[in-house]
Amino acid sequence: MYLYFEATAALYTLTVITAVFLVAGVLCSVILWKKGKAKSLHHKPNISAIIKAFILEVVLQVQILKISFVRWLMHFCIFIGFMGLLAQTTVMAMMSHFLPQDSVVAQTFFQGAGSRVLDVWGDLFGVMLLFGLTIAIVRRYIVRVEQLETILKDSLSLIFLTLITVTGFLSEAFRLMDPQYASVAWYSFAGYPLTQLLQAIGFGAMNYKVWVWIHTIISMFFLGFIPFSKAWHVFVSPIEIVLDASERA
Amino acid sequence: MAIKETLQTTQTTQAGESAETSSAAAPEAAEITAGDNDTAQKINIEKFSPRQLMELDACTRCGECSNWCPAYDQDKREPLTPRGRAARFKDLVTRQHGVFNADSLLGRLLGKKPVSAQEMQDFAKDLYACSTCMQCHFVCPVLIDTVELWERIRECIVDGGYGPLETQKDLVLKTKNYDNPWGQPRSSRARWGKMAKKKKRIKEVPKDISKQKAEVLYYVGCTASYDNNVEEVGINTTNILDHAGIDFGILGNKEKCCGSVLLRMGDRASFERICSENIEQFNALGIKTLVTSCAGCLKTIREDYAKVGELRFDVKHTLEYIVDLIKEGKLKLINNVNLKVTYHDPCHLGRHAGCFDAPRELLSLIPGVEFIEMERNRENSRCCGAGGGLKSGYPDMQNQISQRRVADALATGATELVSACPFCYQGLQVGIQAMNAPIKMRDITELVCMALGDAPTTEEDLKE
Repeated sequence: MYLYFEATAALYTLTVITAVFLVAGVLCSVILWKKGKAKSLHHKPNISAIIKAFILEVVLQVQILKISFVRWLMHFCIFIGFMGLLAQTTVMAMMSHFLPQDSVVAQTFFQGAGSRVLDVWGDLFGVMLLFGLTIAIVRRYIVRVEQLETILKDSLSLIFLTLITVTGFLSEAFRLMDPQYASVAWYSFAGYPLTQLLQAIGFGAMNYKVWVWIHTIISMFFLGFIPFSKAWHVFVSPIEIVLDASERA
Repeated sequence: MAIKETLQTTQTTQAGESAETSSAAAPEAAEITAGDNDTAQKINIEKFSPRQLMELDACTRCGECSNWCPAYDQDKREPLTPRGRAARFKDLVTRQHGVFNADSLLGRLLGKKPVSAQEMQDFAKDLYACSTCMQCHFVCPVLIDTVELWERIRECIVDGGYGPLETQKDLVLKTKNYDNPWGQPRSSRARWGKMAKKKKRIKEVPKDISKQKAEVLYYVGCTASYDNNVEEVGINTTNILDHAGIDFGILGNKEKCCGSVLLRMGDRASFERICSENIEQFNALGIKTLVTSCAGCLKTIREDYAKVGELRFDVKHTLEYIVDLIKEGKLKLINNVNLKVTYHDPCHLGRHAGCFDAPRELLSLIPGVEFIEMERNRENSRCCGAGGGLKSGYPDMQNQISQRRVADALATGATELVSACPFCYQGLQVGIQAMNAPIKMRDITELVCMALGDAPTTEEDLKE
């Protein structure tokens, strides 16, 4: 089981609650948008402009790079890190749930070389997210960049993302204390050094599932409240970017 | 002394120390029928597109717009920033129309309060402290179509009776009653031509295109038609078109305002009426091209009219048309114009209509001109503050914004501040006069005429 813990009724219940909040939040927004009756687009959608804008402005975010390298690095790391981890969790959950456990794919990804890929994937995007969050926290609370006007929503998003990332690494670090992972621990290139650090300061092996649960609960809470939070822009802003590109093409 | 006082005011507002004063000095919004403590009229949300309502969620609150907004530059209050405006409007809309609105049980449980008339009035005051310069769109990482959104919000504010501001109402009324925002009689619209002919500034008054057909309509616009200080624009354009042998005409007293003022102020119903009448009139002329010297008219006719009806002709700014004429060999710029110039991109010509290269190309084609760019140019050109009703609503703020732009121009060492819009001409003159700045405001057509030999070119002539 790659999720490292049993898919218990509690997990399913938590998932359903998260999904209900997520869907309700999305519906609240969409219902409000749909109350607008004027034309959204004045021209036919320009597919090539949309694709170009998606690559350059949504994925690579060159428009932010033009303004500031530091801001670009911060936003790119948070965006790509968050999306990468969301994708990894989704893939893992889908495979755990739908693939027969004795299938070649399941064997490969749960026990074989595939699991190492997922280890590297998780650490890579986790480090990116943490790096981006660090820059964001420094800009907003330490340097106090003038253009940033902090309200509760801004802080909550940063707090949740930081908690998710930190608890994710902690759960991984404590899991890697289990000798069964010793031979492959270095694939978790960020998690394993944390394991060593924790051991060096006196932390012994403990039930890592506690950390996995803390991580899961915080993550689910955040996912459920995305439509009500600042993170909603992660999904809405790209739509505006590509529509603008299409209209101006 | 006057200059010192003005500069001191600029510094104070830039430091944000006089925010309260600036706010208190804001003109009154339209008188509200309901009492201040009463619930506000509901915003007609149907007037927005789903995309515009989505844009309220798309704002990341990064604040990049606040670094560039000319109004916020003068009055450092968060509600004046595009970010603040979007957030505030989203709050009003969700409290009135959201699933958990203030009237719903859940909304009440969540502590949502009904929007008060006073809140709406306060919002309107800040909403009109915007020149619709579109700078916020160009610096927005999400590229939110801000100005379209502000104009749509203004429309709802007008519908609700909360706007425009008292000082702006006059412009709207005059435009509706006289077909021009200056309140001048229709019968004197073509007076500039007659006067110019009398003074021998032009060979002939352009022909009345409604009586004699022509391929090109020169749409003069209200400011160039009525403001004596910028009559040069019409005179120079006429001379240039004559020089090139263009078959053109004007509508004379039958010309109506393009309706830009109405649209920017939020009176869309009146705009659509005047727009439809103009489209019908223009199409009936059978013209191939409509040429206008005004950036505001260009943006309105080329961009906004096209959303209302079909235009069966090209719309060009005078300078775009002149560049074409030069390339076709119909105009030859032969005289040296030994002037050190800098160019101000009018917001409606540059950011709104995407015309950045043509003016620079034209300046490069004029012999002798030494052209120096201001630090902020093209997409990031600083606004003169005259547009969007800011000049009528907040004249002091416009004055300060204009001075900032004039300071940009002075920093280049240029002796001439060139632009391509009569409204910017007026707006920048405010700053030049307030600062008593050693720089001369000129429309780009004036330089073209000098190069053609139709205007004074020597230093002595220029002094005269």
